[in-house]
Amino acid sequence: MKLFNLGDLNWKQTQLIYHALAYENIESLVLSSPSDTYMSVGLHQNPQDELDLNFCVDNNIGIFRREIGGGTVLLDKHQLFYNLILHRKNLIVPYAPEAFFRKFLQPVIQTYRELGISVEYRPLCDLVVRDKKISGNGGGEIGDCKVLGGSILLDFNYELMAKAINLADDLKKKFLELMNNNLTTVKKELEIVPLKDDICSILVKKFEELLGPMTKGKIESKITNKMMELDKQYSSDKWLFQRGTKQIWREIKIREGEIMIYKLFNFQNSYGRVICEIKKNLVKEVIFSNRFPLSHSNQREIKSRLIGIEFNSDKLLYDIVEMIKSYGDGIVD
Amino acid sequence: MAMALLIKIRGMDFPLDRKYYIENGAHIWLKPEGDIIKIGLDAFAAEMAGSINFLNVNKGRVNRSKAFGSFESSKFVNKLYSPVSGKIIEVNDKVLINPRTINDNPYNSWIVSIKIENKDYESKYIIEDKDEILKWINKEIKKTKVD
Repeated sequence: MKLFNLGDLNWKQTQLIYHALAYENIESLVLSSPSDTYMSVGLHQNPQDELDLNFCVDNNIGIFRREIGGGTVLLDKHQLFYNLILHRKNLIVPYAPEAFFRKFLQPVIQTYRELGISVEYRPLCDLVVRDKKISGNGGGEIGDCKVLGGSILLDFNYELMAKAINLADDLKKKFLELMNNNLTTVKKELEIVPLKDDICSILVKKFEELLGPMTKGKIESKITNKMMELDKQYSSDKWLFQRGTKQIWREIKIREGEIMIYKLFNFQNSYGRVICEIKKNLVKEVIFSNRFPLSHSNQREIKSRLIGIEFNSDKLLYDIVEMIKSYGDGIVD
Repeated sequence: MAMALLIKIRGMDFPLDRKYYIENGAHIWLKPEGDIIKIGLDAFAAEMAGSINFLNVNKGRVNRSKAFGSFESSKFVNKLYSPVSGKIIEVNDKVLINPRTINDNPYNSWIVSIKIENKDYESKYIIEDKDEILKWINKEIKKTKVD
C-alpha cells in the first residue's frame, strides 16, 4: 500500500490525483489540502442546479464534478483531505456502503480523538461530535477500485458556502442557519487549529494500524499522464454539466438524518417554492416562499397537516399538490 | 399470472424465472426474451445498498462486464455492470426518476433493455440453477459478516 502525503496542492490536483490513482489501480492513501477555494459536486449532481455559477465565476471559485458520491461541498485550505483507494476485489473491502464507511472511517475517528475531540461514527458516513457533523465523506467505484473521500474540517466558511449554493435568498438564510446549528469544526471544538503536518502524522499512524505499513509513493509519469487526461475530461462542459436524473425534489443534506428538500410549483400566472425540513424521516418544518400564491390561512392548514408525518417523497408531493388543488388554485405542475 | 418459484434467504427473494450475473459482485438479474434482455439489480444489491437516491444510465452500446451506468445510495456510487454485449434499446424512466422502487421491488424494477449481439452469451458468471444461486448468495452473505 502506497502513501502519498502531498501537502498543499492546486485545487484541481487534489481531485485529479485520487481519480488517477484509482484508474491506475494503485492501492494507496492520499493526504492533501487545496491551496485555493472550490466547490465540488457529486457524480449524480449537476453544478447548474446546485451552484450559483455567476457567484463562483465572479469569485474565482473553481467547480469540480467528482466520480464519487455525496453532495455539494465547499473545499478550501482549511480542510485536510484523505482519500483511500482500494481494489474492489480486495477481500478487506466490504460490499455494503455502510460497512465500507464504518470500517475505513475508524482511523479518521481515532485521529480526531487523539486531537482531543470525541468524535463518533454516525451511519451512514458522518462523523459527529455533540450531535454536530465535523467531517464530510463520500465514496464510490472509480475504475476497478473503491474510493473513500473525506475531509477533516479545520475551519469552515459557512457564509461562502451559502452564497455559492444555488438557492433563493430566503432559502440561503435557512440553509446558513441549519449549517451553523449542525456543522462544527476543529477550530470551534479546540479553539486552536493544530498543524496540518501533525494531523497527517496521526492519520498515517491510524490508517497503518488498520491496513498495515505503507511505503512512500512516487508520482510517476503514468500517474501525471492520467491526471492530464482526466483533467481534459473533467474540465469539459460535457462532463461538468451532464444532466443526471431529474429528481422529484431537490435535496440538500445538512447532516445524516437531516435534509432540506424543496420544489418549485408552477401556477397559471406565477410560481412558488415549498421547502420542507426533514429530520429522522419525519417532516419537521414546511416553509412557503415569499409571495407563494396561497392565502396564509391555507398555508397554515397545509403545514399543520404535514408536520410530523413520515417522509415519503412521492406521497409528500402528491399530498401538497392535492391540498393546493382543493383550495381551487390553478397549479400547473 | 402464475407466481414464479423463488429462493427466499434472509428475507431476500431470488425468483427462479430469471438468470443472475454474479461477476465481481455485479448482482444483476437478467430476463431474456429472444434477443432482447431486461436487466435490473437483485435483492441482495437492493438490500445492501440502502435507499437508492440516484440512478444514471449511459445509452447506446454496452460491453460485457463493463459499466453501463451507476447508482448512488448512502453517498456511495456503485457501478452497474452489463452481463452482455449489445445495445441499450430502452430505459425504464420510471425507475430512473424514482430509483427507490428498486429497494421496494427489485424484480419489477427493470433498468434497461439490451438487444444482445450474440445469443450465445452464457458464461460461468451467469447462473440460473437453484443450487448454484443458493451457494452463491450464501457466499455473498458470508462475505458481509467479516465486514
